[in-house]
Amino acid sequence: MSERLPSGARRWPLWLGGIGLVTLLTLVSPDGILAQEISRSYRDFPLIGSRTAIWIAAEVHLLFAAFVLGVPMFAVVAEAIGIFGKDRKYDKLAKEFTRLLLVAYSATAIWGAILSFLLVTLYPRLWVYLTQIFAPSMWAYAGLFFLESFTLYLYYYGWDRWAEGRAKLMHWGLGIMLNVFGTTVMFIANSWLTFMMSPPADVTPDTSPAMVQFWSAFANATWMPINIHRIIANVVFGGAIVGAYAAYRFLIAETDEERAHYDWMGYVGNLIAIGALIVLPFAGYYLGREIYEYSPGMGQTLMGGFMSWLWIIQAFLIGVLFLTGNYYLWVGMGRIPGAERFMPYTKYMLIVLVVGVIVWATPHTMIASRAEIAAMGGTYHPFLGVLGVMSAKNTAVNIMILTTFLSFLLYRRANKEPVVEWARTGTMIQGVLFVVCAGIVIFYGIYGYFVTAIVRIGFSVYQVLAVIATIFSVVAIDVAIGRGAKSRGAIRWGQMPERSQYALFILAVTFTWLMGLMGYARSGIRQHWHVWEVVRDTSEYASTPALGYASQIISVCVLIFFGLVAFIFWVGGLAEKPVLSGVGSEGGD
Amino acid sequence: MWQTNLKVLAVVLGTVAVFTIVSSSIPQLQSVVPEDLSFSGDVTAEELVAAGQALFEGAGGCADCHGLGTRAPNLLTDEAGTGQIGVRCARRVTGQDCKAYLFNSLVDPNALQVEGYIPIMADMSRTLSSEQLWALVAFLQSQGGEVTVTGADIESEGGVESAGAAQPAAVTAAGPTSTSSDPVEIMTANACLGCHVMDGTGAPIGPSFDGIGGRVSADYIRQSILDPRAGASEGYEAFIQLMPATFGEQLSAAQLEAVVQFLADRR
Repeated sequence: MSERLPSGARRWPLWLGGIGLVTLLTLVSPDGILAQEISRSYRDFPLIGSRTAIWIAAEVHLLFAAFVLGVPMFAVVAEAIGIFGKDRKYDKLAKEFTRLLLVAYSATAIWGAILSFLLVTLYPRLWVYLTQIFAPSMWAYAGLFFLESFTLYLYYYGWDRWAEGRAKLMHWGLGIMLNVFGTTVMFIANSWLTFMMSPPADVTPDTSPAMVQFWSAFANATWMPINIHRIIANVVFGGAIVGAYAAYRFLIAETDEERAHYDWMGYVGNLIAIGALIVLPFAGYYLGREIYEYSPGMGQTLMGGFMSWLWIIQAFLIGVLFLTGNYYLWVGMGRIPGAERFMPYTKYMLIVLVVGVIVWATPHTMIASRAEIAAMGGTYHPFLGVLGVMSAKNTAVNIMILTTFLSFLLYRRANKEPVVEWARTGTMIQGVLFVVCAGIVIFYGIYGYFVTAIVRIGFSVYQVLAVIATIFSVVAIDVAIGRGAKSRGAIRWGQMPERSQYALFILAVTFTWLMGLMGYARSGIRQHWHVWEVVRDTSEYASTPALGYASQIISVCVLIFFGLVAFIFWVGGLAEKPVLSGVGSEGGD
Repeated sequence: MWQTNLKVLAVVLGTVAVFTIVSSSIPQLQSVVPEDLSFSGDVTAEELVAAGQALFEGAGGCADCHGLGTRAPNLLTDEAGTGQIGVRCARRVTGQDCKAYLFNSLVDPNALQVEGYIPIMADMSRTLSSEQLWALVAFLQSQGGEVTVTGADIESEGGVESAGAAQPAAVTAAGPTSTSSDPVEIMTANACLGCHVMDGTGAPIGPSFDGIGGRVSADYIRQSILDPRAGASEGYEAFIQLMPATFGEQLSAAQLEAVVQFLADRR
């Protein structure tokens, strides 16, 4: 069956975006713009205002960009498993991942062009300032964008032509190059936005942008932390959206084969999302530390200032992710022969997770008036204050990660019957590792109440290291135990209750909303500065809105994103049928 | 199929709605832009203090750390028994009076790091104008001390409104201590109503001054002023640490007695 798209209609928006961007860069090159008198620093946007217009354009563009950057990472990994593991179903899965990528790419380009046009028309002074520093990187961005586009076309349309031998390896190389180009494009764009957050210390309001050294502006203090954080977050996000796509196709599937394929695809998407999510807090910790290092004042604004309550919402959202992700795994155990022996433990894990979420979502810093402090009976709430401190929160989140990992381990073990002689001993060692890890986490959590803040901060490192060490050790033992294991029966892919698929939708929506929230945090900590302490925002929208208003904008962005995703996936489905992996007929784990 | 589509739509809309409602239900804090200030040469202390207070509690972001929390020295009430900032400021660095110390703390905070805290404060002259800095100094002085900032201080700094314009001051003028014998003036100068309510004014952190003479004796009031840690009134135990223990040094014997008798007479 031919999978070539029937017409070039789906491609033109991509070229439009690219051409628009290049035209834009040419028109507003520093010399061109500076030759003119710019009489206005700002223009307003009808009805919603310029800030909200830019906000929506940037957010929706970023959501699509995260998707098209995240998916190639695990598409190329899936293809590699297919090649080197000689398992064709992974190759088919990788191709279907890429098919989603192709249709989402156009939307990314369109929203990128919208963002650029809005920025240059609504914030011309800021745009000129940035182009004076970053013009060369903008030209490179446009060039890499074209390379990325061509590579994507070759990667997708050459899939069946270069399917065997060396040609297949070359095709896999294209996938790697696609990732290299895409990631480089992201790194370049990240330098612009992180410069706005953390310009070099020697750049002051009196510094001419023409005198700013390019590389010091490019590789600024928060550039690499944002790069790392976004790479991981893109994988999480891509996995979640793929999971939602698979869930929808599962729900409308007409045959058992389709249901089995999309059940498996949803499982893989969810596994990627939750697996990468566990690593994400460490990248976030690195970013937060760099923000504090760069500007303690900015760090305080983020964690203890007007944004302090944002972290309660973040805890609530991540609580939803943990609970929903575990729920999906537990429901999924219903289709695994042998999993019934582990099911009684899920209710205890649920209790641990719920308690963890409650502790994590306990507010700590209250910016209270004297009257409010009087009403509370102290600077901290008499009861909540005990749980709201970092000792309790770090303990809660580490125990939640450990519990989720245990869920995954039980899921993985469910249909296996180890045959190695030391299986029982190995399992006991795994249990001891879990108990010791939980003990270390809880010990430092309690000890943290009796030491000063500076010592307490260091304890979180010990807790995290204990969890990471346990995860790696237990997985290593589990892989060894599983060698040659007997199967208690193949996983019955496709035999999942519908409610599990709606859980995948909740996960995707929650991940998307969380990205919007974190985008608001990252951008909002600049407060009334376009470029922190260098270029002041003197527009009527200079203040940073409260979380209630922000949540409404985030929700609008999320709905626009999902509306467009639904549309383009529907359009994509009209033209061609996906190649099913055949996982239902092969069984598999 | 349409039934499935509707269910999916309901799940997506429901999830988004829950997040929006929860986010809109928590305390709503907005980051506001610091108001540009412009003072004439004859600006009054009250005008400066009011402007400084608005900055401190609002756009300046000072209260994030210097409120009643633990990240930075307490600038609203007592700090570990050393008194309010308006009192202790003159004792912090030899050779710097209160005004100089406070201004220098704002523009070069790391050089004047208070023991026990980590250096997390930025040079505020990068984000605040000279007028805004002096307004903050006046507000901090008013916390238990005498406001000595004048229009001359601002003019000497040029009053330039731009980030990075202000320079560390070499101010040396010493603020006169209050010599008033009027109990209300004494209490105002020492910011007693920052934590006690009297005639509908003040904050209810400590016991109300209304009817206090009917509840406790003059000796008890005197003891509470001189040694507040000796015992807290019922219901206010959690706030005992906030009451400065320095009034015995700040007030003259006559001033202390004037305040004690004034309060004892409020039955």
